[in-house]
Amino acid sequence: MRKYLFTLLFLSKSVMFATDSDLGSKIPDLKLKLLNGQKITIHELLKDGPLMIDFWATWCKPCKKVMKYLDQYHQDYADQGFKVLMINQDTPRSLGKVKSYIRSQNHQFFVGLDPNQKIAQKLNGMVMPTLILIDKGGEIKWRHQGFIPGEEIEIEKQIKLILESQASES
Amino acid sequence: MKKIILCLTICSVLVANDIDFNAALTANYGDSYDFYSYSENRLDLNFFYNDLQGWVQYEYSNPPDVGFPINDIRKFRIEYTLDDFTIKFGDIYEFWGRGLVLNQFDDQITNYDNGTRGLFVGYSNGPLSASHLNGNSNVWLFGSDLRKPYYNNSHNMSGNQIQYEWKSLSLGLTQIQSNEVHQKLFGDDAYVNHKMKGIYGSWLATNIDLFIEYVDKISTEKTDFFQEVAHDSLKKGHGIYGNLNLYLGSWGLSTEYKRYAFDKSHSDFTADDYGNRIELQMMPTLGKEQNSTLLGRVSHNYNFNDERGVQVELNGSLFNRFSVSAQYSHLSRNKDWKSLNPLDWVDKSLDTYLPSSNPSALPYWENYEEISGFILGDNLYFKLGHGSNQEVFKTMRYFDGTQISTIFTESWVKDTTDFYGNMVIDSTMTIDTSFSDPFEVVAKMWQVAKSFTIPMELNYTFDNGYNFGVGFQYQERTKKNISKGNAISYSNSDSSWILINPENPDSSFETHDTQFSLNGEKVNTQYNRMIYVTLSKAPRWSFTITQDWANAFDGPTTVDPYYNPLEALIFGDLKYFTGDRNPTDPPPFIQKKWVSAELAYNLTSSQRISIMYGSIQGGLFCSNGICRLIAPFNDGIKFSYSAIF
Repeated sequence: MRKYLFTLLFLSKSVMFATDSDLGSKIPDLKLKLLNGQKITIHELLKDGPLMIDFWATWCKPCKKVMKYLDQYHQDYADQGFKVLMINQDTPRSLGKVKSYIRSQNHQFFVGLDPNQKIAQKLNGMVMPTLILIDKGGEIKWRHQGFIPGEEIEIEKQIKLILESQASES
Repeated sequence: MKKIILCLTICSVLVANDIDFNAALTANYGDSYDFYSYSENRLDLNFFYNDLQGWVQYEYSNPPDVGFPINDIRKFRIEYTLDDFTIKFGDIYEFWGRGLVLNQFDDQITNYDNGTRGLFVGYSNGPLSASHLNGNSNVWLFGSDLRKPYYNNSHNMSGNQIQYEWKSLSLGLTQIQSNEVHQKLFGDDAYVNHKMKGIYGSWLATNIDLFIEYVDKISTEKTDFFQEVAHDSLKKGHGIYGNLNLYLGSWGLSTEYKRYAFDKSHSDFTADDYGNRIELQMMPTLGKEQNSTLLGRVSHNYNFNDERGVQVELNGSLFNRFSVSAQYSHLSRNKDWKSLNPLDWVDKSLDTYLPSSNPSALPYWENYEEISGFILGDNLYFKLGHGSNQEVFKTMRYFDGTQISTIFTESWVKDTTDFYGNMVIDSTMTIDTSFSDPFEVVAKMWQVAKSFTIPMELNYTFDNGYNFGVGFQYQERTKKNISKGNAISYSNSDSSWILINPENPDSSFETHDTQFSLNGEKVNTQYNRMIYVTLSKAPRWSFTITQDWANAFDGPTTVDPYYNPLEALIFGDLKYFTGDRNPTDPPPFIQKKWVSAELAYNLTSSQRISIMYGSIQGGLFCSNGICRLIAPFNDGIKFSYSAIF
């Protein structure tokens, strides 16, 4: 009985705790290595505008579905400083195929490597896909786990919202 | 002490204004008709304060899906960065090269956790980086129980890495030393010292990149009674991994080669085979990481101690719309083997660096092809794949050579003997020993499985946000013991193979004995099918019904112990709802089928809840090269909740 009560308590606390209004914490300035060998920090990617981070792996089916849209948004809103950073979590088992896959799809977004989930663990991206939208000031504005086809509309809506708010501030 | 750490962490995070934090919460609960129950709750809390970072993972699980019950801080880590230096204290997960020396992770599904609790010091300045790691790694491995680990190997380890990058080249040196307390099958623990030295290098260019890693390993064991002084050399080994990628336009070709030779055997390694590769080494497997359920169930159980192989994968796009991929890999043990008798095996080195196709080297082949993409104005997503594989699981005998039979010829010779003056007629038997001409003996028996699988998926998204998806997976599988030759048994007294037809050594046989059966009856081919139908409305909910069929098993026939209403609904059995069925005595037509329904609902963009009801077939699940047999889940409910904030 104790375990059920604990689960219930855990859930009720978290439902109260985890409303969208809790968003707004700053993204830490984590270092990561890109697929092309370049080393970069998250704050460096935020210099020109907002950033969308997504966690993915070559074997993750919904990740591949959402990637198509994220690459499109990366290109469509690049002139407003928006970028997409795809953090790859392939282990050594499939790490050698990541670049081959990205090149074959002609994706233009940034691809970071996180083979033992150091970054994913710090940003709570262990569930794939997990989307994190960050404004230019480094504040987390939106998080989302999983992908149901059709959600790309909501993703684009959130990107537009952050870009509009950035434009009105400047 | 741990609870104080947790309280302090939570209080400081909540009180301090300039601390940034994030957290993730997962709660999983399951209960089935046949007592498969679990309750897992985990809270991950990360905080960031200037150059200080911290992580605490608290878990209350009693019992967990796999592992041991816990109500405590499971993991923690403090990190401090000062200029070019980083110091970490707590549970550390590092990854060097491609993992031939060190690759640490915590995989909850396979319950594999090879992290180190200790200290990490790192330095990084421009092209130069160096790190030192030391502490204790306590790794639990499964025995016969599918949910609770049995074997425990603990490593008191220290390691160092240095890496230098120059333009598109990089070079790294690694070293690890570990004192292991190794749990054996029976008897006292073994105390083993492992030393590894590794080197890796990479080159990145526009249309080509290359990575190579090599590790050399030696282990010694404390063999004296008091375990104070040294040590007989136990095992020596090495590992090589290479990856060459070529790119041309929208096509990429990935080629990989591996040779891991930390031990050798013609059969599986057990807990008594120690001193070889250690749990901190998690290397590339050179197999396809499958994402279809049926292909996942026929995954190869990779051998990190004794396996070599090649893998080629081509990825490309057609008409800038469709993704295409084709993969092939071939793996085997490092040696061919010959059984001089059923217990005494000798190895023979392979002539090339490539894997062997000889059944005695336990070869494995797989290939997978897939095309996927969007059509009909990007509203319809489709995926069609084809996978096949073939694997020799084990060899029971494998002899191929010449043998000479000893021929005993009896002859009686008439003789006369003078017996006190009387001539007695007598006869004497003489035995002449001669040898036959050499003749060929073949005594082979191995177990092989073959399968082909077709996964397909269709998803149509309507303009109003609804999405309808159908997926279907079809699989044909054979698994049989193959015997061939002219001998099947061995005589220890004669030290020779016994011909099935001694009069005619040339007469040979070949039999194929299927390993699949249903209720005791042999079945040649196992057919597995899985269909799932999904209806979803973005961004709120998705509902999926899944049905899984099998016609035979390579073990005892599974029995569905309970007839649940979902099964009755799916099979349109009105008698169930009119009370004419006894749920505890399920009708035959629901056997060998597993039906489940799952509803997932996004409470907010960062909170998700899902409820599953029904049955799930057990089977092999592999991740990161670690495979775990999952027990079936019969007629129960699973509930999960996850949130990030």
